Amino acid sequence: MKRAQMEILGLAIVVVLILVATTFIVRFLVLKSPTEYRAGFVSSELASNTLNTFLKTSAAECSQLSMTELLQDCARAESITCDNGQSSCSFVNSTAKSILSKTLGIWAIRYEFLAYTDAKLPLIKIGQQCRGEKKSKLFPIPATTTTIYAKLDIC
Amino acid sequence: MDKKSQIQIGETIAVLFVFFILVAIGFIFYVKVIQSNLEQEKDEASQLRSVGIAQRVMFLPELQCSEDNIITDNCIDVLKLESAKGIMKEKELYYYDMFEYSSINITQIYPTEAKWSIYSKETDDFSSKFVTNVPISLFDPAGRKYGFGVLAIETMLK
Repeated sequence: MKRAQMEILGLAIVVVLILVATTFIVRFLVLKSPTEYRAGFVSSELASNTLNTFLKTSAAECSQLSMTELLQDCARAESITCDNGQSSCSFVNSTAKSILSKTLGIWAIRYEFLAYTDAKLPLIKIGQQCRGEKKSKLFPIPATTTTIYAKLDIC
Repeated sequence: MDKKSQIQIGETIAVLFVFFILVAIGFIFYVKVIQSNLEQEKDEASQLRSVGIAQRVMFLPELQCSEDNIITDNCIDVLKLESAKGIMKEKELYYYDMFEYSSINITQIYPTEAKWSIYSKETDDFSSKFVTNVPISLFDPAGRKYGFGVLAIETMLK
């Protein structure tokens, strides 16, 4: 091989090495996506904490019955009437709407809250259905003849 | 020195010059990448510290509900709040080790609206600030009733 050809070959090797090094740097260092530890923690805690806390909350206008007990009555016979004249279903609905708008609504987080025995005919439905990724929490509540599901989706 | 040798020296100098320029560009690029990685790592560490502080607050025995030594998760005893506030002010250094520069506020949303500020140590000299809101039950042991509240933890990290 002539000297000039040898030099061109050497140059080609150097160029290939530089390209490989650049690809490696771009792949592992520049395109490394940051880990969102806090966002993961917050979104995983939010759905379960919100739902758990809501179901435990005592209704001041309904003899301090919990939201869980009111939901059980709502699915059964709606025999409870609260001090403000609302039935159990409508009381849970208005309280959930108020609490969720003062929390998730203010924090600009989209959500959907559902309480149902049959998913096609929900007893309570607040918010908009999530499109795309969501964090969901489902709480089954035993009632006498059926099971009520309380579900909160955080979009 | 003959002319051919002078040209060869010039050639060598030109090659070395280009080589060092390439090394300098590579070094600048490397430093920039390392710098951005360091900032990313610093941000991740700040996020972890903020999550750590939030968890410490959520499981603080001074605030947590308990009955017969059984702790209720995700619940704050309203009667403990006022005492905790006083203790935290009194033993500021001890709580600074736990919460650093942060402010912890509890807001009751239902049945009535109320607000408690239990810890506050703020600084203007911070590089990142995180606000973590955690929905939490507020238990009133006197009436044995639960309210709906939000625990807001604002952490400022240098």
